[in-house]
Amino acid sequence: MAEHHDEHPITYKTYFMTWVWLLVLTALALGLGYTNINEKLKAFLLVCTTLAKILVIAAVFMHLRYERINLILITFTPLILAIIMFSFTFPETLGTATHLIRVR
Amino acid sequence: MMWIFIVSDALTFMAFLMAYGFMRSISPMWPKQTEVFNMVLITFMTFVLISSSAVMAMAVAAARAHNPKLAVRFLGLTIVGGLIFLGCQAFEWTNLIEEGARLTHNPWGVPQFAASFFVITGFHGFHVFSGVTILAIVAIRAAMGKYSGDQVENAGLYWHFVDVVWVFVFAFFYLM
Repeated sequence: MAEHHDEHPITYKTYFMTWVWLLVLTALALGLGYTNINEKLKAFLLVCTTLAKILVIAAVFMHLRYERINLILITFTPLILAIIMFSFTFPETLGTATHLIRVR
Repeated sequence: MMWIFIVSDALTFMAFLMAYGFMRSISPMWPKQTEVFNMVLITFMTFVLISSSAVMAMAVAAARAHNPKLAVRFLGLTIVGGLIFLGCQAFEWTNLIEEGARLTHNPWGVPQFAASFFVITGFHGFHVFSGVTILAIVAIRAAMGKYSGDQVENAGLYWHFVDVVWVFVFAFFYLM
């Protein structure tokens, strides 16, 4: 799988900066977790920060951006299946409008 | 081949997280995570895993640049990160079990809460453990001079995947 790209133009500095960005995104997600905004908006923003983080890890750390397009597309299958499963199962849960109530 | 394995493993975790999402949505209530978990510890664990992932990327770069000494050093740091993570998780599990959390019931009212916690973090923790084992083997081989850039890269891919899964668990289980 990895035999066709012996030379990555990625330097240690790029990895270091990627690490810094990942920490910034983590701090952002943590901040979101503690804010008292609308639960749906919070869920949406958390999905956004999570997707941003995994894209950065996959593209830079896992060198996915140097792989061929077929492989990149294959790696998206779990996310696509997740969206399909979510859209099939989530309408089932809408009847329980109390699901946002927290104990204590 | 590593990528095919990673995608199939990702499907497993996807199924776990979807099942958790469904159980949580149909549950009439859900415990407030910040009151159950020690969020400082969880944040520290996240920090350690992300940092170890960055160091792992540097280990791959060092191995590709034919610098085994530096690669072994970076691999060692990655392993230390993995061990710290596992230690923190063992501590977290011990605390929760002592507070009465079990697969079937827990003191916070929603049985699915502890069940999904143990299954998801347990499965992820087992992946971290396998990752540490794989990295130790690769590091020992690299120290003996028996390594190739591709081998280190494959071990690295697996380690980054473990990090990716934690990013999901951190956001959807601990913060949402």
